[in-house]
Amino acid sequence: MSDPVLVVQDLTVYRESYAAVQNVSFTVPAGMDTAIVGPNGAGKSTLIQAILGILPRRSGDVFALGQPLSAKGRLPAAVREQIAYLPQSFLFDRRIPITVRELVGLGWDRLGLQLPWVGQRARRQAVREALMRAEAWHLRDQLVSALSGGETKRVLLAYCLARPRRLLILDEAPAGLDARSETDFYQLLHQLKKEQGWAILQISHDLDMVRQSCDRVLCLNRTLLCEGTPDHALSPETLSLAYGADFVRYHHSCQARAHYDHSD
Amino acid sequence: MTIQTELVRAVELFQLPFMQRALMGGVLTGLMGGLMGSFTILRQLSFFSDTLGHSALLGISIGFLLGLDPSWVLMPFTVLFALGVTYFLERADLWTDALLNIVYSASLAIGIILLSLREDYQGGINNLLFGDILAVQTGDLIFSAMLLVVCALFIGLTLRSQILLTLHEPLAISRGVAVSAQRTTFIVLLSLVVGISIEAVGVLLISAFIVIPACAARLLSRTFTQYILISAGLGALSAILGMVTSAFLYWPSGPSIVTAQLVLFVLAIIVPKPHSWGTFLQKIQSPKNSKGSFKK
Repeated sequence: MSDPVLVVQDLTVYRESYAAVQNVSFTVPAGMDTAIVGPNGAGKSTLIQAILGILPRRSGDVFALGQPLSAKGRLPAAVREQIAYLPQSFLFDRRIPITVRELVGLGWDRLGLQLPWVGQRARRQAVREALMRAEAWHLRDQLVSALSGGETKRVLLAYCLARPRRLLILDEAPAGLDARSETDFYQLLHQLKKEQGWAILQISHDLDMVRQSCDRVLCLNRTLLCEGTPDHALSPETLSLAYGADFVRYHHSCQARAHYDHSD
Repeated sequence: MTIQTELVRAVELFQLPFMQRALMGGVLTGLMGGLMGSFTILRQLSFFSDTLGHSALLGISIGFLLGLDPSWVLMPFTVLFALGVTYFLERADLWTDALLNIVYSASLAIGIILLSLREDYQGGINNLLFGDILAVQTGDLIFSAMLLVVCALFIGLTLRSQILLTLHEPLAISRGVAVSAQRTTFIVLLSLVVGISIEAVGVLLISAFIVIPACAARLLSRTFTQYILISAGLGALSAILGMVTSAFLYWPSGPSIVTAQLVLFVLAIIVPKPHSWGTFLQKIQSPKNSKGSFKK
């Protein structure tokens, strides 16, 4: 088995005065889809932001592609280039004049010192391929501010696809997509994982999708409650710990009803 | 006097060295203001640049009191002041515009009190408030040109990082953009641009050079790159138009340039926008919108 793309050891992150994430350790193997589940306020987004260096950590270590994340949240540029992140919400000032093509191009760019006109041909080609793959080529000349929520998600996915990566981190990425787009989105993730060996770490509230599509599940509620295959990590006992017993009874009754309707 | 005589007089005026220096100074200030202004307004730092301009009065007053050349005190003072205010804004749990208002009013008040301690301040206050672009010296031009090159190199070489940082900070951090270093460098360059432009355009009008061309460019541009280039271009164009108007109509130069900026801004509001052109072209090219009247 190849080395894990991400190793998290005893990570603790504080939000103001409380520990939003406490002593969390796990690994993300290459070519696998790992889901983080847990109720609202469980620290899922905080965990991801600390892994990326967006939020400072109180203690613990993070290794991405074998390289340690420094105390100031720095990673070598060559490692950063191989990690893509799709945030939960993409809030920005809608008066900023940026087109879809320009935004996706930023996903391809190396963000060190460089002349803006260097590598334009390769950049254009990469942007075109990424937009085609995310089925957003028709949006290429639109301003990002003019896009709907679902279109913005597609364009951000194209931003992530603009360069080959080894780790894709998604924070509730399909939220805002319609049913068909959501199916396409998961098919694309499956393809990236199987054909190109991308590791995926995604936060999700869709437990059925996690059960069907993901290889591993981390159940989080400030601390890591359990880790394993979907069958193990999404067992009623574990879910009761994370979400409470009432939720699990309700969830199972919904599943049973859906199964009954389907077989009917 | 006929218009022709006036035109000849205005043209002859531009053959004088001080007018040529003033024109060159205006163009350099316009280019720098437009370039840095394009990111300043998107990062909602317009009021910050205005505060920097007003704080310059305090720097000049300190220079006067210490018996030093105010030009030499102004630049380091503005940079240190900008960094101090940024540090204060990041740590104080209060509204940015309210805090900037406090800094802005206080530095103006203290600056005027310090100037009042000098008997010879009365004559100079007008120049400080409104600037005197006709007094620009060759040394000032060389320094402005060097600063313009530094600003252009900084924006040009870090363009992608600057755009991502302006658009979405967490996304920029996740890509390894050194946010703090980039932001501090930008603030230092902005304060240098403000500091060097004070003598030419004055404390009261400096923020116009940062804000108006960028706002006009935003209305006219379709992409981010266009926006930056148009902003710098409008800064330079308004300086030329303002100086010509000033020579032709005997208006004060700094206010004439700001008036030219305002005219360009109003024109930018009135003229059809690039996205309207795009929609129009799409409409006339789209077969859906043909009414079928040409079918045989």
